Amino acid sequence: MMAVLELKNLEKSFGKLEVIKDLSFAVEEHSVFGFIGKNGAGKTTTMKMILGFLQPDAGEIYVNGERVAYGNSKTNRYIGYLPDVPEFYGYMSPKEYLRLCGEITGLPKEVTQARSKELLSMVGLENTNRRIRGFSRGMKQRLGIAQALLNEPRLLICDEPTSALDPIGRKEILDILSIARERTTIVFSTHILSDVERIADNIGVINDGKLVLEGPVQNIKNMKRKDTIQIVLSNQEMNTELMSRINELPFVLEGALEKDGILIKLTNAEKFGKEIMSLLVREDIPVLRYEILEPSLENVFLEVVG
Amino acid sequence: MKGYLAFTKKEFVEQIRTYRLLICLSVFFLFGLMSPLLAKLLPEILSGMDLQGMVLAIPEATAMDAYAQFFKNITQMGIIVILLVFGGVISNELTKGTLINILAKGLGRHTVILAKYTAMLVLWTLALAFASLVNHGYTMYMFDTSDISNLLFSLFCLWLFGAFLLSLIILSSVLTGGNFGGLILTVVVLGGLLILDLFPKLEKVNPIYLSSHNLEFLTGALMPADALLPVLVTIALLIGNILVSISLFNHKKL
Amino acid sequence: MNEIMEYLPFIIPIIIVELVLMVAALVHLLKYKKFRFGNQILWIVIVVFLQIIGPILYFTIGRGDE
Repeated sequence: MMAVLELKNLEKSFGKLEVIKDLSFAVEEHSVFGFIGKNGAGKTTTMKMILGFLQPDAGEIYVNGERVAYGNSKTNRYIGYLPDVPEFYGYMSPKEYLRLCGEITGLPKEVTQARSKELLSMVGLENTNRRIRGFSRGMKQRLGIAQALLNEPRLLICDEPTSALDPIGRKEILDILSIARERTTIVFSTHILSDVERIADNIGVINDGKLVLEGPVQNIKNMKRKDTIQIVLSNQEMNTELMSRINELPFVLEGALEKDGILIKLTNAEKFGKEIMSLLVREDIPVLRYEILEPSLENVFLEVVG
Repeated sequence: MKGYLAFTKKEFVEQIRTYRLLICLSVFFLFGLMSPLLAKLLPEILSGMDLQGMVLAIPEATAMDAYAQFFKNITQMGIIVILLVFGGVISNELTKGTLINILAKGLGRHTVILAKYTAMLVLWTLALAFASLVNHGYTMYMFDTSDISNLLFSLFCLWLFGAFLLSLIILSSVLTGGNFGGLILTVVVLGGLLILDLFPKLEKVNPIYLSSHNLEFLTGALMPADALLPVLVTIALLIGNILVSISLFNHKKL
Repeated sequence: MNEIMEYLPFIIPIIIVELVLMVAALVHLLKYKKFRFGNQILWIVIVVFLQIIGPILYFTIGRGDE
């Protein structure tokens, strides 16, 4: 598989502030890459360097095998970009704006027309003929996706596409991106982990200017996982006694008494869970609920970024 | 080339829909119309004033007076209007972020500068031509215009000065940030040029020359050959402004 | 009376241009109601009473972004 996007040992500082220190990763064709990090971790900076809007202090970026040059990047013809807050010419209608985009990229008129129609109906703006100046945030975001996909880019880069939107707007954007993944490779940044879980194949977690975690979403959830078992007793008075017993077990990493029961962190819930169960039976402790909690990306994220 | 044409077209649409075309054409139309009118009316107003017995010998107004008014209007009010209309030509798009989508599509940054300059130049040319036609028409209607010489050359000088001013607005707009940064820097540079104009030795290497001697070409006091150096200097500065703007813009963080 | 007739070719176009600019600015500012500074009443006063200059100021520096 070919890498559509490749970053090699990227570095960038603003004055004394080192935002990106030695960042490397690659994104393969026809995948969805979730670029995760806290606010201010350097996600937007990285994206602007990919587009040639900012100059890296060191390192190289390749799009579709071609090196990105700062200032006048030819490689942008492979890219569709959705800025975090896309801005348009307010005096144009969506159709007129897409026509301008088509002319700039050199698409034939008929192609622009056909694709505009298709894309506008995909993002739900096909019947919106008024000028962009009155558009809501969500509408601008949707038009932003349409303009980014107009030239059928090999790579669609979205900077925090959902973070400024209300829950309905977020769902709409995620649905549209799920359709778009059929046609192109998507890189999107976010700090909302449930969005990543919904549509990403691979993730990269950036922290402190470096990629601290990278790989397929499923593997990461499993690999780093600390399982959690939740036990709720019918007799709350026995909580403390059970706690001390559990903490004596060698495979238990941490046992804690929380308001929703006893939470036990351990490395492998399926294997060692039996021992916990036999302990409960042996001691004749009545159990209301016994549950192995699903590992979530959020736990993993908090663990590596922490 | 396609990108250049597309972006220039976008600039024209913008001029129309943001009322810049309407403003420029109406104001310059009024300049053309009011200049001969003012020339005609001023002596009448002055002679009508009660000066307590003093008698002012005011000569009858001529076509030259009309043109004096015209050049004064264009080089003062006209330039203020041009500054107001075009002051934010690049900074507006940068502060709003509207250029990001366009540049992310691979449109060259130099194309943006060239397309914007083209559209500004076309509007300036239209406005000045319109004003000149109206002015000349009304001047002919009111006065005898037979002794006017070098009219087209004089107007060309004014046009070239405007073209230089537009290139200066672009350069200032690229250099500074904020909505009014370009406007303020242009005014500062113009002020500097006006001060330099006070030194007779530097007069001919200063674009101001092209906007301050227009009437003298009409009366025949100056001939086109006298303006050769200022014309060449201004063209060189204009091209320089655009080239520096492009190079600075290519390295601008977005 | 003759004097006025003589100046009609000037007066009529001036009035037309003034009105066009004023109406364009009024329509725009009543429709969008967004200003970089000042408020609607202030701009209505400026546009109506400052002939020609008022509408120009409104369109160039008074009008809010789209």
